[in-house]
Amino acid sequence: MNPVTRLTLSLLALTLPTGALAQSVTVKINGYGGTDPAVVGDLINRFVKPALARDKINVVYEPIQGDYNKGLTTLLAAGNAGDVFYLPGETLDGFVATGKVLPLNGLVSSTPFIGSLNRTFTRKGKLYAVAKDFNTLSVVYNKDLFDEAGVAYPNAQDTWSTFAKKLTDVKSKLGSDYSGLCLPPSFDRFGAFAYAAGWTQFDAKGRTNLADPRFVSAFNYYTGLARNKVGVQPSELSKDWGGGCFQTGKVAVAIEGGWIVNFLKDNAPNLKYGTALLPRADATGKRGNFLYTVGWAINAGTRNRAAAVKVLNALTSAQAQEYVLSQGLAIPSRSALSSSAYFKRSDAGALNSKVIFDGSTDGNVRGFTFGPQGSDWSKPINDALAAVLSGQKSAADALRKAQSDMNAFQNR
Amino acid sequence: MTAYAFLMPFLAVLAVFFFYAFGRAVYYSFSDFNLFNTPHLIGLKPYGDVLSDTNFRRALTNTLLYAVITTVLQTVFALLMAVVLNRRLRGLAFFRAAWYMPSITSSVVITLIFLWLFQRRGAANYLFSQLGAALPVVGAFLLLLVVIQAVQVAWERSRSLPARALDPALLVVSALLAGAVTAVLTVTGVLHVREAVPLDYQYFADRWVQVGGVQVISVPMLVIIAQNVFTTVPTLMLFFLAGLQGVPGALYEAAEIDGATPVQQFLNVTVPMLRPVTFYVVTVGLIGTLQMFDQVAIIGSAAPQNTIVTLAYYVYRNTFQNGVAPVNLASAAAILLALITLALVFVQRRFFVAPESGS
Repeated sequence: MNPVTRLTLSLLALTLPTGALAQSVTVKINGYGGTDPAVVGDLINRFVKPALARDKINVVYEPIQGDYNKGLTTLLAAGNAGDVFYLPGETLDGFVATGKVLPLNGLVSSTPFIGSLNRTFTRKGKLYAVAKDFNTLSVVYNKDLFDEAGVAYPNAQDTWSTFAKKLTDVKSKLGSDYSGLCLPPSFDRFGAFAYAAGWTQFDAKGRTNLADPRFVSAFNYYTGLARNKVGVQPSELSKDWGGGCFQTGKVAVAIEGGWIVNFLKDNAPNLKYGTALLPRADATGKRGNFLYTVGWAINAGTRNRAAAVKVLNALTSAQAQEYVLSQGLAIPSRSALSSSAYFKRSDAGALNSKVIFDGSTDGNVRGFTFGPQGSDWSKPINDALAAVLSGQKSAADALRKAQSDMNAFQNR
Repeated sequence: MTAYAFLMPFLAVLAVFFFYAFGRAVYYSFSDFNLFNTPHLIGLKPYGDVLSDTNFRRALTNTLLYAVITTVLQTVFALLMAVVLNRRLRGLAFFRAAWYMPSITSSVVITLIFLWLFQRRGAANYLFSQLGAALPVVGAFLLLLVVIQAVQVAWERSRSLPARALDPALLVVSALLAGAVTAVLTVTGVLHVREAVPLDYQYFADRWVQVGGVQVISVPMLVIIAQNVFTTVPTLMLFFLAGLQGVPGALYEAAEIDGATPVQQFLNVTVPMLRPVTFYVVTVGLIGTLQMFDQVAIIGSAAPQNTIVTLAYYVYRNTFQNGVAPVNLASAAAILLALITLALVFVQRRFFVAPESGS
């Protein structure tokens, strides 16, 4: 072979793969850092790449480290965000207002997914994301403490009053070193009780009414548990959330979601716990709950819309979701998964997952969101809870101030 | 030309990140910009909105109080510390290094330590609880100390000897005697440590120092002031130390010959001679405190936001939200902050200490 032919062949060899790549499309996904790159990477390799191999769609995951919402805001504003990205339910309104989130109506079928999750991502009839997975709240209880106190475990039949009685009994039997319930002074736990009482976050005009008797009854019930130290704020045990408070083994119950399972596995492996649905409000006979969820959304400015839709469908396919569930990674969003074999297992983690899954459809379940003005919305409520739980204010005074702060906030 | 070539990188950075950014901020402050729309000029409305926002007014009050209190405290303490460390002490190098440590430690770390110290069951509450428990013993010791010292001084004076009330030699004897008597009383059971009742004071709660029912400054902000004084005093102390090296020793000798006491020497020689340094320290302190951000950001939701919000944090909060953000309000607040900073430095320069007056 003469040098000229060899050179020509070499150049041809070099250009061939480039030519092949030129036809392929790369879809960039933005999501959380932490353990998500490993999980999503696994999903991409197992389900997305095989499904899209023929379409020559290449998928890359680019995690946003640190504060995801702020990171995504910056990328969207600069026009550098991924074609597909996580859209957290609680910040949906702020991102929808940017006009950078593509409505998925007509592009993706939302039928196979749990209705309450679809509603969480719907604004004015437009679906902005498909739920990736979700969490709800549950009653996580320390079996040893209930056994030692000789009190029956919390269960799905509990009402607010029977639940409070159980906690009070545990506390009185076990003494001053122990408490009944971890009570974070925060709307993201308390709100489920307000929903159980039938309260709604916003009225038709978008205003929030904290003087609503239903809200007041839930507020009085929640803060009333702090009396006689039946309920204890996590900060009193030098912890910053309910799971940390529960992990100490000094508190019988925490109201937390499925995220507590892996936390307890790592931090309190010998703590025996069970999970129950939240208690029903005496007045309404209903439970309340939050849907903490993150959806898959598509960038309105993407140049690869068709490819992005295919990637989204592959990421939320039945096989991908079954895999996520079976690995104990998260509770996926397809309604059909209720009959999954995973939910029939008897280990504490799987039992917790089943209760979390059931919680998404039982009673007054609402998406965890703060509305169009963002997370500052919950501040007046959190301040009121903190003031009453720490004994600085009466419930009536705290609620009066909270309503006045809320009005000022909503008038902005 | 060579000079300009060397200055070029600096000028380029200044042009892009200061003048251009400042110009954009001014433009946005008169517009309806929300980070995603095309800005349209809407006049002074953002300034009106900002000034009528209760959060802004709280941030402004917090910032001004924080700046004034912190600057005064850090300047006074830095000067006193510099005077102490300017003396010939045994182990001076160690003390200088030890005092300087907080200054080189990350403010994030110091804030986390302060959060830990001042939490509900933190070290501060623990120490106060223990002090309360030991109050009978400590009180008895102090009482005995005063009585014994008074007796000793009276006795010395009755013998026409020149004994000062706080004579160090007599104080040592008084302390030893008071300690011994307290120990005996404790061992015999006359005095005893009470059971410590845990103090549950929440420093990072919605607590305020009120004057006539008006919330003036919050307790969480006082903790931040204490922390900031703790971390900035060492740096400012270095400036004063450098200034002290330049004060001619002859002035002190002359003052001493005139019979000036150490306090008089400090007030009439040291303070006037350090005026240029003081001007610099106060200016740097004011600018730094007016722009305080990191401590508030790190404390985050651990304290109610209106108790610690500052103007810099207000600007940040309104710029970086989830999705659309009132960037026009943030820009207006930033411009107001810049104007306030300029005004304070100008007033400080005009009416208090001009650098020339020290020379």
